[in-house]
Amino acid sequence: MQSRWDIGEPERPTINTETEQLKSELLTLNMGPQHPATHGVLRIEIWTDSEVVAHAIPHLGYLHRCMEKHCESLDYRGIIPFVDRLDYLASMNMEWAYAQTVEQMLGTEVPRRAELLRILTCELQRIASHLMAFGTYALDLGAFTPFLYAFEEREKILRLFEEVSGARLLYNYIWIGGVWNDWTDDQLARVSQFCNTMEEEAKKYHDLVSVNKIFVQRTANVGVMTIQDCLDYGATGPVLRGAGMNWDLRRNKPWSLYNEFEFDVVVATAEIGQLGDCWNRYIVRMKEVVQSIRIIRQVIEKLEPGPVMGKVPKIIKLPKGEVYVRQECPRGELGFHLVSEGDSKQPYRLKVKSPCFTNVSMLPRVAPGQMIADFVATVGSIDIVLGEVDR
Amino acid sequence: MSSQVHQTGSVKEYFADLFNGIKTTVVGMWITFKYVWAVKPVSIEYPEVREVLPERARMRLFNDAQNCISCTQCAMACPVDCIYIASEKKPEGAEIKKTSNGQAIRLTLTQFMIDTALCCYCGLCTTVCPTECLTHSHDYEFSQYTIDGMKYDYLAADVIAWRDRIVKS
Repeated sequence: MQSRWDIGEPERPTINTETEQLKSELLTLNMGPQHPATHGVLRIEIWTDSEVVAHAIPHLGYLHRCMEKHCESLDYRGIIPFVDRLDYLASMNMEWAYAQTVEQMLGTEVPRRAELLRILTCELQRIASHLMAFGTYALDLGAFTPFLYAFEEREKILRLFEEVSGARLLYNYIWIGGVWNDWTDDQLARVSQFCNTMEEEAKKYHDLVSVNKIFVQRTANVGVMTIQDCLDYGATGPVLRGAGMNWDLRRNKPWSLYNEFEFDVVVATAEIGQLGDCWNRYIVRMKEVVQSIRIIRQVIEKLEPGPVMGKVPKIIKLPKGEVYVRQECPRGELGFHLVSEGDSKQPYRLKVKSPCFTNVSMLPRVAPGQMIADFVATVGSIDIVLGEVDR
Repeated sequence: MSSQVHQTGSVKEYFADLFNGIKTTVVGMWITFKYVWAVKPVSIEYPEVREVLPERARMRLFNDAQNCISCTQCAMACPVDCIYIASEKKPEGAEIKKTSNGQAIRLTLTQFMIDTALCCYCGLCTTVCPTECLTHSHDYEFSQYTIDGMKYDYLAADVIAWRDRIVKS
């Protein structure tokens, strides 16, 4: 029986009648694992007919670290540094999802200030992650300058995180029961200052890249993923919203204090191109940056002095049972499935549902018929992080 | 699913397209051109100019062995097991020293080694230390020729001599 995931042999492209007598065969080309446009160590085997991709097979596992298995021998606090390394461009979101998983089983109450600070850091992290996506996507398409502009702004966020947590990329900042350190008023003032500059910068990026004719020609109507495709493959995040579906866990299944905030779920409207193409996926990210700024401003208004760490036992032992927690990360829907045997310092099983893994599985679906250069644009627009795909 | 449909429209559309292309390129060029004089450079020339690290920056670990009570809590908290501690009981009648915050040192520390090549700089060990002798220093330049050189024995005389140089005030 044929599995529904089995794409099978590719269809041979139609051959020009004049050259029909000539023998033609598909050329196998390896894109990666060191290809700069694959954002990490993803290897994609492409079968090409001249410059048209007939079939693309992503080969995963080059960054596999046995993280899930390794977590079974670590205590619950010691897992947080490993969770950081899943999506190393959005570590705060990973930590939060994991911390919430353990807190739900432990029944810990997180202080209000800690929850607000978590929203603040995670929305800042979302901006940083989308800036990275914007910069590297422009880099994939041959524009080097936007990359530098994006990194200039991202650097400000990383500097704030470094001051508050001590690290620039792998923070270990959101702990079970709260957050590690408190933000000072001075740092919060710098956040609001950053929000002001970031809004102007977002307009600048829009003028520089989004409406640029060359960029539009490279991305509009390329790599179309329809809503039905996205739902079939389980794609989430900007890929799903870029296809025109109004689905954001922050709005649809709000966790923490997200229902107190006013923000719009950004859904692509196909101003340029068509729904589900690279341009629309890209523009969803750029508009989400502006929405994150809105949330950050509201957080700063709501912040009141208070404790940032709840009451957590010194040695965490979870009761017998299991829990599944999902959150909206910059790249989509992240889920942690934690199984505890009870009376143990270590989890029995920690399964990670990674958004990038499902998103990257759509590549074989959209690749056939594309030019190689368009395929690079499609891979870039999904915005994958291989640390999360391979775990 | 064709990759890029070339629009074959009227002459008017053709020129509108051309004008749009030139306009958006000029707008982009103007934004980058402004950086020639209107924007200050943000990069720093690293070996000569150094950024001041924030107070909480987590760089190489340093253990102040005089204040260590050999409780091994740091080694237990470490998720990658990179801290090696050995201690032995003091002989009876030996003088029991006290740490700077008043805890009695009941064991003699015989080995305190951290493999910084394994260390993931998460900071969990420093949070559990009861005497706060294990801290993150601000020292981030410690490349070595061999991987064994990354193992730091904090009881060695040369490492103790660093104390004044790298421990946070």
